[in-house]
Amino acid sequence: MSELLFEDVTVRYGRLTAVDGVTLRVPAGGVLGLVGESGSGKSTLARAAVGLVPPAGGRILLDGEPVRAHGRHRPLQMVFQDPYSSLDPRMTIGETITEAIPPGMSRAQRRTEVARLLELVHLDPGRASAYPGQLSGGQRQRVALARAIAGRPRVVIADEITSALDVSIQGAILNLVRELQRELGLSILFISHNLAVVRYVADHVAIMLRGRVVEQGPAARVLSEPGHEYTRALLDAVPGHRLTARSAT
Amino acid sequence: MNRRTAHRWLRVLRTPMGRTAAALVLVVLVLAVVGPAPWNARADAVDTANILAGPSAQHWAGTDNLGRDIAFRVLEATRLSVGLALAATAIGVVAGLLLGTAPWLLGRRLGRLVTGAVQIAIAFPGLLLALFFAVVFGVGATGAALAIGLAGAPTFARLVQTLLAGVAARDFVAAARIAGVGRLRILVRHLLPNIAEPLVVNATIGAGGALLAFAGLSFLGLGVQAPSYDWGRLLYDGIGVLYVNPAAAIAPALAVLVAGLALNLLGESVAKGFGMDALVGLPASASPSPAAAAGPAQPAAERPADDAPDDVVLDVRDLTVSFPAAAGPIRPVRGVTFSIRRGEAVGVVGESGSGKSLTALAVSRLVDAAGRVDADRLHLLGTDLREGDSAAQRRLLGSSLAMVFQDPASSFNPTQRIGRQLAETSRHHHGLGRRAAFARAVDRLRAVRITDPDRRARQYPHEFSGGMRQRAMIGMGLMGSPALIVADEPTTALDVTVQRQVLDLLTAIRTSDAVALLLISHDVAVVSEVCDRVLVMYAGRIVEDLPTDRLTTGALHPYTRALTAAVPRMDSPLDRPLPVIPGRPVDPADVPPGCAYAARCPLASQRCRDEDPPLARHPSGHRVACWHARPEPAHAEAVRPASVVEAS
Ligand SMILES: Nc1ncnc2c1ncn2[C@@H]1O[C@H](COP(=O)(O)OP(=O)(O)OP(=O)(O)O)[C@@H](O)[C@H]1O
Ligand code: SF4
Ligand SMILES: [Mg+2]
Repeated sequence: MSELLFEDVTVRYGRLTAVDGVTLRVPAGGVLGLVGESGSGKSTLARAAVGLVPPAGGRILLDGEPVRAHGRHRPLQMVFQDPYSSLDPRMTIGETITEAIPPGMSRAQRRTEVARLLELVHLDPGRASAYPGQLSGGQRQRVALARAIAGRPRVVIADEITSALDVSIQGAILNLVRELQRELGLSILFISHNLAVVRYVADHVAIMLRGRVVEQGPAARVLSEPGHEYTRALLDAVPGHRLTARSAT
Repeated sequence: MNRRTAHRWLRVLRTPMGRTAAALVLVVLVLAVVGPAPWNARADAVDTANILAGPSAQHWAGTDNLGRDIAFRVLEATRLSVGLALAATAIGVVAGLLLGTAPWLLGRRLGRLVTGAVQIAIAFPGLLLALFFAVVFGVGATGAALAIGLAGAPTFARLVQTLLAGVAARDFVAAARIAGVGRLRILVRHLLPNIAEPLVVNATIGAGGALLAFAGLSFLGLGVQAPSYDWGRLLYDGIGVLYVNPAAAIAPALAVLVAGLALNLLGESVAKGFGMDALVGLPASASPSPAAAAGPAQPAAERPADDAPDDVVLDVRDLTVSFPAAAGPIRPVRGVTFSIRRGEAVGVVGESGSGKSLTALAVSRLVDAAGRVDADRLHLLGTDLREGDSAAQRRLLGSSLAMVFQDPASSFNPTQRIGRQLAETSRHHHGLGRRAAFARAVDRLRAVRITDPDRRARQYPHEFSGGMRQRAMIGMGLMGSPALIVADEPTTALDVTVQRQVLDLLTAIRTSDAVALLLISHDVAVVSEVCDRVLVMYAGRIVEDLPTDRLTTGALHPYTRALTAAVPRMDSPLDRPLPVIPGRPVDPADVPPGCAYAARCPLASQRCRDEDPPLARHPSGHRVACWHARPEPAHAEAVRPASVVEAS
């Protein structure tokens, strides 16, 4: 079990401050749900953690050590939002997943591992030779998920991974996320704008607005007694909220 | 090379220009390879009796000052000319690749240095650079090849840098980096394959340029030296005797022209055949204007439909979309029938791959060229859309149908101001003047609730937030007076608060102007907020067509119920897994004979596996395709499928 800690992290793109002194803790073996609108800095924070953007200030610590963002084995893996751009269109999905499998396996073992991972995300292992262009959006995201799990990470950062998935898969993925988290003792930073989704997987929730965290705490508390006005607006916008209201009247 | 790439190369060869250019290049290459052997003797045969003769039957282009046959010398020179041009191109490509990929490999600081150096080199005219290098490397063929090659390198390097930057920004590269794949390996495995096509095209065009440049250097006496000769050298000799025998200059000039042109044309036609999608990687279907797909005009089918009720906006019967595939055609949409009335909002829900998008694309005639669309009826406002591509049809689609896609970022051209892009559609379809069109664009931006539309219209897409872009996209659809808005996952890429705004906007437009809406979403909750009626799709079919208010309690199809139950809600119990639909959606390449849902359905019986249930009206009032259609049992778990009486 590993704890991921953001300590007063600031990230700038040129003059724009995308993340402004954020302190967050992804508890060991726990799930932190990070909610906020696009442009609020959620993804930037995630990219800083995996070393895709350098922080301008603060520290990112994995179990008290600075995160290693070099070398073949990376303890942090990330799943991206857009399944259309997160898979190389020129590689078969089998090759894509194989690339993320830690070295030291034989060819046959790797093939079995790919099949297992595909099965895990409810894809036909026979499709390992398909190109991303032959899959629909939802199928691609499942491949991206299999790739992240393939890396045997200690912390997984899931950036809006279900926002492009259809509900039946979303449910299966959310169940899968909970299952993996419990079985492998994974710590997960789960970024989403869908509060119903975050509520289901996360035990802690942080709300981000314009680069800052405006509210954080146990999921049950934040979602039932929001302390910030923006949290209330978010709760109000959950799809189906009105439907429930309508059928109640 | 995968199938799609092969397909595109074939497409290039099918155009007349592509074919001609390829044939010419082939001839030149064959000449370069086999040419010298049979003609060597004749090209070098000295005939002192026939010095500086004009064209004759024996010597087509006359002879030179030693009486050697010029026509044969030109043919013989093909090898050296083409060979040197190719060598120079190879030098340029290699140097360009090294310089172009250096920023990626060296990291940010060193990379910036290389980029800067390339920028400076590009500022010098190519010929000047070539002359400079020619002087540095000394007079002669090798020096000239190096000079021309290196002179072309900066331009090629910049092309590589630009293309690389585009691909490197995509998430799959980030994913590979996070997986610990090294930079060199990423370059070789992910980046280069994705930019190879434009590079090959550019190198081909570059070879044509190198050929011309070589002729130029040799002509100036800086290139090939006697006794060797290439076309430039022959041209130089020919110009000297221009007044005695003009053919001596014309023949090599012609050779340079033909070979150079052939290479250029080949490059151009390949570029055209691959289209912008090879360069940018945008899905072709992201084109916002259905009218963009122009074609030969055919007689208009403008007769209104016979028996369609007046207020039907869209009438689709037995719509099928199929694609060729290795093991016979697949049919992702298999006989879809529905209609939409004026001002009605119809939702389409279903899992990924169920054919929702293809149905929408077929309606707006945007299915890509490989696909085949068949229908018994496909009427928009009474006009048959199935056949032909007449101006009237295009105008109708352009002004009466608005399309909103999932990804607002790729729906706009990043290099043009928003207002201008909106205005464009109006100028295109309604013949408005520039001023009037722009004024309308501003007005439409205001209609989609973009604040300060005057200023916003003058901004570029990247200055808009995702939600604003999506609203602007809807605004673009409203430039005409659409009777139908087709929105394919319009809010999937947006946050909840923005999603709420866009959904509210769609509802407002619909109610105020009686615009019909076809809203596609995988999210039942989204659809049920906006729509009057929901079409549930499974494996390319509509399995249920029901009023929205029956979704939660009155659904008759087991799939509809499963889909509704799978949405996480703010009150889903946290202590057990979310209800999911077991198994996988059907692969369109492998559709079972009976009900496509049978493998996942808790109620499936033998009949379900044998016979495909038709979409028929159920006694409770709406259409459903299920042998065991019935209202939701009070306790789903308690029902045993075997006890169900078969409904007809
Ligand atoms: N150009 C194409 N060539 C071949 N097959 C295609 C093509 N476009 C789509 N398909 C296939 O058709 C099926 C239906 O695709 P479609 O895009 O309509 O699904 P969808 O319901 O919109 O899914 P999603 O919710 O993921 O967007 C899929 O199995 C897909 O793989
Ligand atoms: S027809 Fe049979 S298998 Fe198909 S949905 Fe109905 S009950 Fe299930
Ligand atoms: Mg779709």
